[in-house]
Amino acid sequence: MSPTHVLLVDDEEIFTRNIAKLLAHRGYRVTAVSSGDAAIRALEEQPFDVLVLDLKMPGLDGIATFREMLKLGLSVETIILTGHGSIDTALEAVKLGAHDYLTKPCEIEELVAKIESARGKGRGKRP
Amino acid sequence: MGPIEAAGAQMANEPPAAGRPESNAPPDRVAERRKSYKRLFWRFVRLTVLCSLLPLLVVGWAINLHYTRFARERMLHFFQSQVEDHRRVIERFLGEQTAKLKLIARTHDLPRLTAPGALARVFELFNQEEKTLTDLGVIGDDGFHRAYVGPYDLWSRNYSREHWFRRVMEHGVYVSDMFMGFRREPHFIIAVTHSDGERVWILRATIHTEAFRALVENVRIGRTGTVYLLNAEGLYQTSPAGRAPIMEKAPYPVGEPHAGIRLRTLEELPGPEGKPLARQIACEAWLKTPRWLLIVQQEYDEAFADVNHANRWTLVFLLASAATIVLATVGITRHMIVLIRRRDDEADRLNERLLQAGKLAAIGELSAGVAHEINNPLAILLTERQLLLDCAARHPLPEGEFREQFEESMSQIDIQVQRCKRITQNLLRFARRTESRLEPLDVNAFIREVVELMEREAKTSGIRFTTALDPAIPPVVSDPSQLQQVLLNLITNAIDAHDGKPYGAIRIATRADAASRRFTLKVADTGAGIRPEHLARVFDPFFTTKAVGKGTGLGLAITFGIVQRLGGSIHVESEPGKGTEFTIELPWEPPEELRQSLTAESRPA
Repeated sequence: MSPTHVLLVDDEEIFTRNIAKLLAHRGYRVTAVSSGDAAIRALEEQPFDVLVLDLKMPGLDGIATFREMLKLGLSVETIILTGHGSIDTALEAVKLGAHDYLTKPCEIEELVAKIESARGKGRGKRP
Repeated sequence: MGPIEAAGAQMANEPPAAGRPESNAPPDRVAERRKSYKRLFWRFVRLTVLCSLLPLLVVGWAINLHYTRFARERMLHFFQSQVEDHRRVIERFLGEQTAKLKLIARTHDLPRLTAPGALARVFELFNQEEKTLTDLGVIGDDGFHRAYVGPYDLWSRNYSREHWFRRVMEHGVYVSDMFMGFRREPHFIIAVTHSDGERVWILRATIHTEAFRALVENVRIGRTGTVYLLNAEGLYQTSPAGRAPIMEKAPYPVGEPHAGIRLRTLEELPGPEGKPLARQIACEAWLKTPRWLLIVQQEYDEAFADVNHANRWTLVFLLASAATIVLATVGITRHMIVLIRRRDDEADRLNERLLQAGKLAAIGELSAGVAHEINNPLAILLTERQLLLDCAARHPLPEGEFREQFEESMSQIDIQVQRCKRITQNLLRFARRTESRLEPLDVNAFIREVVELMEREAKTSGIRFTTALDPAIPPVVSDPSQLQQVLLNLITNAIDAHDGKPYGAIRIATRADAASRRFTLKVADTGAGIRPEHLARVFDPFFTTKAVGKGTGLGLAITFGIVQRLGGSIHVESEPGKGTEFTIELPWEPPEELRQSLTAESRPA
């Protein structure tokens, strides 16, 4: 079985780099981009198993990216990363079809658990 | 239990107790206010009194003046008509007597008139109806009596050198002034001449002085009114109310004869027993024949008694009105100042609340920004730690000091990051507009529930809970989750206030006020109390008296915000060492703007 391919979107590059390393240590294949546009392009190029999307970004922000994705029919299980203050927006994304959300800062194990749960659901949907 | 624990954790960071009076203007401002109220009071009073008294006095004065003039004119007119009438009466009387004498002289020749008994018969006829003449005589051109009827012995008297004799011989008719004559008492005569062709004779009559006096004085004018006559030289022709004998000189000049009626005021007239008379008003008219001055005179004050009376009453009325106006003005103004002061106090309180709300809003915005900015580095810190841990797992460190220190630091980093996270979460919770939900609520049951939970928490602290809940509170409409937070914040603070005390009590009371459709909720503790200098700041965000790291200082600020949002008010009283009491007042129904903002919020969802 090929490793779960995760697309990580966050404008904080050190954060994405670190998360990518941590996920890689745990057996995931991670592609990290730092903007909504880059994320859409990456999704168009190749399929991903799970998308980890930060809400607060310059330019196309998380929720706009998610909407754009939906519009383009780029379906992928999504975990929204959010600060405590924007839980409402995260919930909105969940209502729109995102798998779950996670508040920053978070433990890596929490993220892994959510990715696994999203992956399981994704597999169920697309065997 | 979840939300309660969260609130509890948050509240542990609060100041031990806090307070703020409803209005806490500094004392110098209070004194300044009081002075300005006093100034305002006097300005109002002055203005109102001026604006109402001045017109009143002017109008009162004008009406009085007008009335006085009118009354005086009427009075004088009355006087004048009296004099006019009376002059006519006297003139008619004298004219009648003169005409009678003329008639007799013309219809009787001298022999017939001097015949024995003839003159007596005429005299009788004259005095038939009333005593008019004192005596009657026929005098020849030699000045001796030809015939005489009367009480005096005048047969031997010769009148040819008398003043009146010459005058009557000149003019044919003469009415004399009062004179003493041969009889040595004041009297006056009317004489007419008649000529038989060769001889001229005189028919002379003495007017009965008493009868004439009665005729002249036959006018009653008040208590002090007198009527009398003066001749052209100013000698009394009748005695003025017995004040002076006939023929005495009047104490004032009579002036030149004039045709009309003249009015004058006489001051300082000598009265009986040497005392001067009060000011007199006199109305004068000259008779044609003889040239006598008829005077009707009355005490000025009596003549104008009505006017004076009216004036007095006008004055009384004006004074009473003025007093009423002044009293009413003072009363109304005082009442108004009380109202204004109440409004000002209310405005002060509102301003303070607005200030507080503004502070909260500004801090909220700032907090949200700061929390967001801090969250990212925190997230990175956490990932860096995890990376290090991953590394350590792959390449285990050798036992020793470094490994010990590494593990300790890793766990400390985690603890501190979690602490930062808690702080930012609190900040964000404070900044966030929590979603409200309004629903019917039994306040007392709700309080009992919360208290029960808190009692369990505080069991080890030795603090007793008592409640005094007013059963009169009807089911209210409010936001249970927010109300719960308020209650938890206050109770947690109350528990914390007993820090270091092995015992204590927290009393929670409610009371309904049907009149204002509000209820009050009091949370009182027996804790450390709040120092007066802190009392004004306890609702400020980030104000805390707790040790660094133990409090965000947001609990009471949040409480304040919630209570305000629910349309209520909160205030605090505290005595250091004795305890603190928070009083919250809330409406039975939430304010309309809260309902509206809630419906507006829920619409896009």
